[in-house]
Amino acid sequence: MLEVEGVSAGYQGSDVVRDVSFRVDEGETVIIIGSNGAGKTTLFRAVCGLLPLSAGRVTFLGEDITGMPVQRVVRRGLAFVPAERHLFPHMTVEENLALGAYPDRPDPEIRNTVLELFPRLAERLRQLAGTMSGGEQQMLAVGRALMSHPRLLVLDEPTTGLAPIVARSAYTALGRLRDRGLTILVAEQQVPLALAVSDRGYVLENGAIGLTGTSPELASDPRVRSAYLGVI
Amino acid sequence: MTASILDGIVLGLQFGVLAAGLTLVYGLGGVLNLAYGQIAVVSGLVTLLTMEAGLPAVPAALLGLVTGGVLGLVLDMTILQPVYRRSGEARVLLSLLLTLGAAFVIDGYLNWRYPLKGLNLRISGEPLVIFGVRMRMGSVVASIITLVVIGVLYWLFRYTRLGRAVRSVIQDEEGSRLVGIDPQVMMRLILVLSGVLAGVVAITRSMVAPVNVRAGFSLTVLGLIVTVVGGLGSISGAFLAGLVLGIINSVASSYIGTFLSLIILLVAAAVTIVIRPAGLLGVRE
Repeated sequence: MLEVEGVSAGYQGSDVVRDVSFRVDEGETVIIIGSNGAGKTTLFRAVCGLLPLSAGRVTFLGEDITGMPVQRVVRRGLAFVPAERHLFPHMTVEENLALGAYPDRPDPEIRNTVLELFPRLAERLRQLAGTMSGGEQQMLAVGRALMSHPRLLVLDEPTTGLAPIVARSAYTALGRLRDRGLTILVAEQQVPLALAVSDRGYVLENGAIGLTGTSPELASDPRVRSAYLGVI
Repeated sequence: MTASILDGIVLGLQFGVLAAGLTLVYGLGGVLNLAYGQIAVVSGLVTLLTMEAGLPAVPAALLGLVTGGVLGLVLDMTILQPVYRRSGEARVLLSLLLTLGAAFVIDGYLNWRYPLKGLNLRISGEPLVIFGVRMRMGSVVASIITLVVIGVLYWLFRYTRLGRAVRSVIQDEEGSRLVGIDPQVMMRLILVLSGVLAGVVAITRSMVAPVNVRAGFSLTVLGLIVTVVGGLGSISGAFLAGLVLGIINSVASSYIGTFLSLIILLVAAAVTIVIRPAGLLGVRE
């Protein structure tokens, strides 16, 4: 579904990620593991069209989307939720969700699915997004992304700034989305949580892919265990 | 007193529309359009020239509004292109310089070709008595048109998907791109709308008092004052500030003197900025 080949990208001429390749197949949940500064955000921004690539190719659903701006990528079925969420703070939850479906009228069926998945949003439809807690904002960001009826949901560190218990419930929701058949790509530092809901993973170290395997393989790999799972 | 307050409301509604055109463009793209007043003047002039050529007032005015929109589009497609490639402060500064240049060019041309033209739309009819005050028909018609325009703007931004998309770009440009909105397309639409609003101001103003070809810069300055008081990027702030300043201007003119009214407006603006740096309803921190 998504194929990333030899992508290099960065800021002001110096590449943060170099020659990264990975793929996500239909129905899979794939995790990109990496510590702070490993280049996860840069990689995702480049793949989704928020940052120019200095080399490489990105193919989505058989179409070359290399360098295509994010607003056009979204309309092809790839929804991106950045770590900073970028909600519309002075609009209500309802308006934020409605904009997720832009330029179409919000589909009531998808809206119901989103509100079922995140009952908290259903209680707060008239609240301004900027006044909600971090966990609720994350739910809204994911909900807004789902409103565009994406084929692939890309999440950059969805648990940033969330309390552990909230982070856990965020992954419960992701697990449910996966069970519905949505394809998911997620970058995460909270490795145990993400490994539990994913099929495969890649380890990003200093801007390059170091290790790859199925989630159980990664969970039992001694290097992953010592570096990301806190097991010595 | 009632008379000057009513006059102030008439003026204030026009101030609001004037400022809305500036504040939308700034809020959306960080662009300050200093050629705004000149766009208004050209719209008015087109209305005047086509009327002199024999066209009835309404189609002539519509042609004037279309001209305003086209000028906004031309700005977007020409001198604003290099502006869009920059961000933050550099963008604001470059937009100031380039649109100021355009303003000088348009102003110079108008002064050379049409030094004596002034648009003065006389609306016939008996004065209307409102709250015991006799209002000239021109003021009444101008205010009705302005109110309709404000109503349409309110509906557009509050209830339509397009209006919501524009607001989303003002609130979080990256967020708007994430949901599939192209900020450049929104900017182009808003520049066209802004040009039309400039035309509305010129045409409704000319029903109350003559608008001459040299009015460009003072219209821009008035628009900027109202915009700053209302809060850069806030549409409702522009209308609120327009009304407040319109009433202040009108009351001050009749009790202190017209020659001081611009200074009094500036003082009112300065006081607002000291008390509320973001303006009355500012959205930017």
